Amino acid sequence: MEKILIKDGILVEGPEGVTLAANRCKSCGRVFFPKSKFCLDCQGNELEDIPLNKQGKLFSYTTPGMPSSHFKPPYAVGFVAMPEGLRVFAPLDIIADKPFKIGMEMEVHEDTLWTEGEKEYVGYRFRPL
Amino acid sequence: MRDVFIIGVGQSTFGKLSDRTAADLGVEAVSEAIKDAGIKPRDIQIAYGCRVFDALTTAQSVLKGVGVTAIEMVNVENACASGSTAVRGLWKDIAFGLYDVGVAVGVESMTTSSIAGKLIPPQKDDFDGHLGLTFPTYFALIARRLMETHGATAEDFAMVSVKNHHHGCLNPRAQYKKEFTVEQVLASFMVADPITLLQCCPNTDGAAAVIMCSEDVAKRYTTKPVRVAASVLLSADYFFKKTDLTTVTMGKNACRMAYEMAGVGPEDLDVIELHDAFACEEIIHYEDMGICKPGESISLLRSGATALGGKIPVNPSGGLLSLGHPLGASGVRVIGEVALHLRDQAGKRQVPNARVGMAQMLGGMESGLEAGAAGIHILTI
Repeated sequence: MEKILIKDGILVEGPEGVTLAANRCKSCGRVFFPKSKFCLDCQGNELEDIPLNKQGKLFSYTTPGMPSSHFKPPYAVGFVAMPEGLRVFAPLDIIADKPFKIGMEMEVHEDTLWTEGEKEYVGYRFRPL
Repeated sequence: MRDVFIIGVGQSTFGKLSDRTAADLGVEAVSEAIKDAGIKPRDIQIAYGCRVFDALTTAQSVLKGVGVTAIEMVNVENACASGSTAVRGLWKDIAFGLYDVGVAVGVESMTTSSIAGKLIPPQKDDFDGHLGLTFPTYFALIARRLMETHGATAEDFAMVSVKNHHHGCLNPRAQYKKEFTVEQVLASFMVADPITLLQCCPNTDGAAAVIMCSEDVAKRYTTKPVRVAASVLLSADYFFKKTDLTTVTMGKNACRMAYEMAGVGPEDLDVIELHDAFACEEIIHYEDMGICKPGESISLLRSGATALGGKIPVNPSGGLLSLGHPLGASGVRVIGEVALHLRDQAGKRQVPNARVGMAQMLGGMESGLEAGAAGIHILTI
């Protein structure tokens, strides 16, 4: 199987393992994921790469009964609020004894999201802690 | 800048009409609007057309069917706010004196479109879309936040659907024309928890048109001209600037601009037509429009104030939920609907003594942005 990252440069090896690769504006401190070419807030041009914290808090979630482009039920998606001040949309792992609850701690991990023929599309998911 | 008036309103049949073309539906709407205005087709000097899917020279394809050719025609697209964009364009042309009489027509044939029977697919570069962000899932995430921050319940969302379906039963043009109970809405297929199928607007084919003109022309044709007191079109800011999912900042700002332009406030509104593609969505617009205080949208809904007979009826037409949602047509249709109420010609769904109304349509889901566009029109009589 050929492994393909769903978008270039979205993952990075941080101090605690693979995490989301973001960048931060050197003038105003705004953090962007995926990385932005310039600061969408203050228009500053100097940004530095940072690994996002692996953990965040669940902001909202849903378990759709209908498929999306690449996922068939059962699956879950939601927004995770990261300590760096941004919300990340992501597929979520469904774990039987850890039902979703707004505010619960979530952790990101690298995973294959879907396959097409001989191609494996790799991205990230968050799992409840 | 001069005042602009609506003198003609037209709407086609709404429903699953795959044997008819979008242009054919447009002809039905424009013919009705021309008849309603009492003008001759050749009086039309400028036309705006809009359609979201498979669009190509939309205005021309419609207007050749009513005998209008060889004038300036402009075709626009702004997702669900396409119709608002067309009306706004026409309003500018008349307000700034370029033309005296024109038509805005919105059409859509969802059942024959390239996305018929499917979800609107994500663009290649729509990263979140590929990760599973669709319209229903996004609104489910909004609904979940409303439960967290506003104490909303699944029954509240169902109640919006019950209300708008009741209104739709009073509208001969509505796609559904069927009453539902809260239990029936909640028992329908779970599209994206907590949103069930009967809390989602259907796929609809249909068209809507309005004839607009200057004051001089309006006086010649009608004793009940409806004045466009505000016309606002605003695009969305970056998604990261959102404070929560329970407000649409773009829509809120567009409302504020419209109130300022019209010199009225939310307390002056008698009737509202708005974008209720999903039942929970109607609730967040209550606060963004200022018809209740922040945090009080659920109690406003539960009080019955936004149902026909209440203090500020919302979506007396049946809304997108019951009347149906032909994407390109809806933005024009809400303006026609409000005009009918102000003229006291809305039949069984009439809001009594309506003098001031708002027609809102929001549209689009653009990756990285809060949404696409917001169109707000305030009409008075």
